[in-house]
Amino acid sequence: MAEPEVRYLFAPELYGRLVWFGRLRWLAVAGLAIASVAGPAVDVPHVWPALFVVALFVAGYNTFFTMVLRHRFREGHPYEDLQACAIRQIVLDLAALTVTAHFTGGLQSPVLIFFVFHMAIGTIMLPTRVMYLLAAGTSLMVLAVYLAEEHGVVAFHPLDPSFGMCGRMCHVNMAFFVVALLGIVYLTDSVTSRFKQRNIELWRTTEELRERTGELQRTLRQMEIVEERKSHYMRISAHQLRSPLATIRTSLQVLTEGYVDPGSERGKRLLAGAVERVDGLLAIVNDLLELAKMREGRARAPWAPNVNVNQLLADLFDALEPHAEERGVGLHPEFEGVAILDRGIPPDLVYAFENLIENGIKYSRSGGEVTVRLRVEGDHVKVEVVDRGIGIPEEFLDEVLHEFVRAPNARKHAAQGTGLGLAIAREAVEAHGGTLTLRSREGEGTTATVELPLHAKPHAASGELPVSG
Amino acid sequence: MAERTILLVDDDDVFVEAVSAVLEGRYRVRRAANGTEGLRMIAEERPDLVILDVMMDHLSEGFDVARKLRNDPATADLPIIMLTGVDQVYNLRMEVDESWVPCDRYLEKPVAPGELLEQVSEVLGE
Repeated sequence: MAEPEVRYLFAPELYGRLVWFGRLRWLAVAGLAIASVAGPAVDVPHVWPALFVVALFVAGYNTFFTMVLRHRFREGHPYEDLQACAIRQIVLDLAALTVTAHFTGGLQSPVLIFFVFHMAIGTIMLPTRVMYLLAAGTSLMVLAVYLAEEHGVVAFHPLDPSFGMCGRMCHVNMAFFVVALLGIVYLTDSVTSRFKQRNIELWRTTEELRERTGELQRTLRQMEIVEERKSHYMRISAHQLRSPLATIRTSLQVLTEGYVDPGSERGKRLLAGAVERVDGLLAIVNDLLELAKMREGRARAPWAPNVNVNQLLADLFDALEPHAEERGVGLHPEFEGVAILDRGIPPDLVYAFENLIENGIKYSRSGGEVTVRLRVEGDHVKVEVVDRGIGIPEEFLDEVLHEFVRAPNARKHAAQGTGLGLAIAREAVEAHGGTLTLRSREGEGTTATVELPLHAKPHAASGELPVSG
Repeated sequence: MAERTILLVDDDDVFVEAVSAVLEGRYRVRRAANGTEGLRMIAEERPDLVILDVMMDHLSEGFDVARKLRNDPATADLPIIMLTGVDQVYNLRMEVDESWVPCDRYLEKPVAPGELLEQVSEVLGE
């Protein structure tokens, strides 16, 4: 049985029982005091002063322990200290009982029954192992007193002066006494251990419940954040769609209401502008669909084993080369080592890298170049997409990773752009347990760094909605 | 009466083209693509009316321009029509002082040409 759990379980209980036990002890003190006063009445005067001393002794240590319990253990009960305190009390009780027994007839004493009583209470409060030791110790102590009485080392104090030592009967009494002590420990233990066990189970269940409740609360909070983010996201999306729609509507109205002749030069410009805005809208809608697909589908997405990032990038280079050439931008791969992910979603990774490399091309000036550096570092792969383009203003570095955010210089440099690419790329990378970070200086270029673990744990790559931002 | 001049400050070139087409029959239209350019053009030649888009490079760029115009004694009385999306009117009005409206009219995009002409005409006191 795991000890630490038992400790936390029984500390408050032990405290309560010790307090209760302390109150009972006052009854014992009262009993001893009454006996010492009533003693002369029953004609055994020479014994009673001793009992009065014992009563004082018990009252003394009971006061001490009551104070200790009240002041030291009231708040937060370290189990070991409480247990040590309990053991000390029981040892003192047993000593006081032994003295009382000695003065009230030794092995014929009626107080012997209280040893049994202590063993039972002790077994309820303390580990059984400790109680067997105490039972053995008590037996030895009582035996020692008995032998001392029998060999005249100490005086024998019968309750009735007409009684002598019990002789052979005392050996039987002693044997029964030892059996009774050990037996009561055994019996009490077998009865209470079931309750103790149940208590432990109950405690474990309570702990588990508490943990689950905590988990539920965390999940709930996370869902709230996701929900908030969703509605925020919907509002931004709607707004992003609304702006071009408003422009299209006004442009068409200008034409249909006859302010401009559709066949005129200006009319054609307006129509072309409307078409351009429609294209922009389509791009946004497509990206939004891509994002939704990525978010919804990740749980059942086709995770492929052994995804070769080098191969994936090389294929992308082939696909993007013509586009780069068209814009007069050079593409340079620099691969150090081969990166193979244990598992990954190739289309999502392609989308992410394609976006980053395309951004590099898009925001480079003619004659510029985009370098893609892949390096395997320990248990992860680092891919840097470096361009010498227009860069990102510092205040937008974090912002541009969020949906629909485009830096003003980016909008000026390239009118086309949904502001969703980086957000999608980031999401794809994070779904693989990786990170996407940007370093940039306006006017000097940007470095986008993707770090992916080669051996991502499945849970790191599960499809939770991101709650950051 | 001499032809009035309207300065159109908006970063959406297609929208500017469409609105210009509506206004050009009656007014002289000048165009600026952002707030800074708009302020510069106003300093160069004071127009009779400024039509300002709220959201340009920055979220509330139009408001910033309007505030600067209102705070400058030379342009404090310059009529301003502000063009906004629905959300912006609500959000930005809350953000700035609710009672402080730095323009003569708010118009929501999309703007119907007839409505725009009417508002312009009203603001210009025609």
